[in-house]
Amino acid sequence: MSTEQGVVYVLDDEPEMVKALMRLLRAKQFDVRVFTSAQAFLEACRPEDVACLVLDVAMPELDGLTLQKRLTHRGLLLPIVFLTGHGDIPMSVRAIKAGATDFLAKPVDAVALVRAVRAALEVARARHETVAETAALASRLATLTPREFEVMRHVVAGKLNKQIAADLGTVEQTVKVHRGRVMEKMAVASVADLVRATERLGIGKAES
Amino acid sequence: MWPMIAAAAITMALIHLGVWMLNRGTISHLLFACMALSIAGFNICELGLMRAQTVADYVVWHFSAHLAAFFVLVSLVWFVRSHLGTGRLWLAWALTAVRGVVLMIEGVLPYGVNFSEITAMREVRLGIARIFLPVGSSGALSRFAEASLFVCMLYVLDAAVCAWRQGNRRRAAIVGGGIVFFVLLGALNAVLTHTGLVQIPYVTSFAFLGVLACLGYELTADVVNAASLTHRLQVREAELRESQQLAGLAAGAAKLGFLVWDRLRGGIWFSKNGRALFGWSEEESVDFSRFRDAIHPEDRPLVEQAIGETLERSGEYEQEYRIVKSDGSIRWIHSRGLAEKNGNGLPARMSGVVMDITGDKQAQIELGQQRDELAHLSRVTTVSALSGSLAHELNQPLGIILSNAQAAQELLIQDPPALNDVGEILSDIVAADRRAAEIIQRLRSLLKRGETSMQPLALNELLEEVLHLTRSDLIGRGVIAACDFARDLPPVAGTRVQIQQVALNLILNAADAMVDNAPGTRRLHIATSRLDDAVRVTVRDGGIGLPADTERLFQAFYTTKPNGLGMGLAICRSIIAAHNGRVWAEPHPERGAIFHFELPVAVAKVSP
Repeated sequence: MSTEQGVVYVLDDEPEMVKALMRLLRAKQFDVRVFTSAQAFLEACRPEDVACLVLDVAMPELDGLTLQKRLTHRGLLLPIVFLTGHGDIPMSVRAIKAGATDFLAKPVDAVALVRAVRAALEVARARHETVAETAALASRLATLTPREFEVMRHVVAGKLNKQIAADLGTVEQTVKVHRGRVMEKMAVASVADLVRATERLGIGKAES
Repeated sequence: MWPMIAAAAITMALIHLGVWMLNRGTISHLLFACMALSIAGFNICELGLMRAQTVADYVVWHFSAHLAAFFVLVSLVWFVRSHLGTGRLWLAWALTAVRGVVLMIEGVLPYGVNFSEITAMREVRLGIARIFLPVGSSGALSRFAEASLFVCMLYVLDAAVCAWRQGNRRRAAIVGGGIVFFVLLGALNAVLTHTGLVQIPYVTSFAFLGVLACLGYELTADVVNAASLTHRLQVREAELRESQQLAGLAAGAAKLGFLVWDRLRGGIWFSKNGRALFGWSEEESVDFSRFRDAIHPEDRPLVEQAIGETLERSGEYEQEYRIVKSDGSIRWIHSRGLAEKNGNGLPARMSGVVMDITGDKQAQIELGQQRDELAHLSRVTTVSALSGSLAHELNQPLGIILSNAQAAQELLIQDPPALNDVGEILSDIVAADRRAAEIIQRLRSLLKRGETSMQPLALNELLEEVLHLTRSDLIGRGVIAACDFARDLPPVAGTRVQIQQVALNLILNAADAMVDNAPGTRRLHIATSRLDDAVRVTVRDGGIGLPADTERLFQAFYTTKPNGLGMGLAICRSIIAAHNGRVWAEPHPERGAIFHFELPVAVAKVSP
């Protein structure tokens, strides 16, 4: 009996609905946590968990879309699966555009729900990985000296060592040394990889 | 001169004797007549006394005078008692007895009661006439006779004072004062003559004439009064005849029937029109059970109850009911009546008016049907507008059922099957199913035709149902509804579906009014409150507000919505009016609108 990876939060203002969804998802081996108020959910939610949220769009106090915005503001990388009793097309389009993973109509079939939840958890995992990787890259970047940083920028611009030396007012040999250290510190094997890494980090290439 | 007095007295006597004979109840007149005749007799005796030349003659006339005096005084005493209505009875009898004794003494003693002896008759000149006066001395018993006169005066005074106190001031003054004055005069004369102090004859009858004049005036005043009363009575009778004629004409024109029910004797009198209304002939006798049998069996209990209540509290009664005529046809009757109690507090009489309103009633029924049609159409339209939210409302329980069932399926295929939760799961499924069924039931009842049928309604419950129906719609629009229901609201009489329609309309209007409000400021407030004999429902919103002329809102085809028909509020007003209530609007002091509707509290008496 293995539980699926990740936490599934379920938020709906009706207790019976929440109970039913919990039973279904737990029977499908998910780790489910349920809430009937948005406030309670926001307090309990932990950013470091790989998790997704199954959310009813029409709730009296805080409607689903507003909650989605709030979560984004807090920087919570929580993919959301919307459930709705309305089947309202414009609303679903709005939700998807705002980053919802899926939009399902009630009564929701078990197969569709499980598929959506799995996909959401995948997305969550992927996001967490990306975040982790970016964090790792950022920490590696922090170890570069300013000189090495400059050299790296010129390297990803596609310049030859000779050109870099001329631009920076130093000799080719020095550039070669810096280059080697950059590749080592950034833990990349090729320039192509380095380019990808800097793009990830949002560092611009040096101007000609 | 003496004959004139006698003539006057006899005249008065005859007049009042005549009055007494015409109207046997007025004993005062008889007593007066008796008194007057006696005075006439006394008068003649006085004359005789003055002409008596011998002592023997004098004594005979003296006795006759006493006889007359007896009758005068006795009838006076009893006249006072009868006319004033006061005067001590024992004293009256005592005086009668005393004067009787005096009379007997007068007859027994040789010279009468007033003189111990009379020696001779002396001639005296009085003007041109020759009269004779007795020479003698007065007897001791004379004082006794005079004292009795004095007691008589006391009696009259006492009676007059009593009458004065009772309020009969004029009578007391004239009768009492007159008698006392003139009799004192006469008594003075008598004393002077008996003691011989002044040489005058008896002129007592003059005094008595004075008394007669006063009393005669009194009695005549009565007769005159009676005459004027008779005249007034005639005038009134003429007026009554006239108004009866008018009433008869009016009744004939309006085809009204009159009835008078004499409860103590049991029969009911019906006017010609009234009988025709019920299909009875003019000769048939009608009593309450006959009348009751004519009432339509369905309406009978209510009518009987209403009549019973009216008799109890002796007031007015108004009722509409059906009757089955003797030819089998059914007519609608409008009946109004008045119940009266008799002196013993028992319901004695009920008089009333009945009118055939079958024609009007038909029109009313048709109008009611058309109104119901319109209300139904409007209801269907409103409910259709809610269909989106209603679908959502149904999807909730359906979703609960599906997820629970699929969860159970998963649990059952596990190895070993996890049966613990399955029981709970199934209970939840059943509950959700019931919930869905309820929503559909409410929907169906709203969409039904819903003929008017007045039932006692609990308004708080009714409003909660409407809120359930609109819940999803309101959530979808971001409207938050708050309720403030009064506790122990009495039921109101109404057709459930129609009152729900009104509430629905007001709530949806309120939500529409707030469509441009910032989210979080769309608040709807519903309150119920109890008034003396009505219940009020108030719907408040913080939306766009109302125009200055709030009555226009309720007119047909008035709308501020681009796609609106404008019939919603007009239909609301029509429904509420048919329920004997009222609906109106006022602007909210801060922002938005307040709508109220009031319905009368349901009474035990519900119209058919």
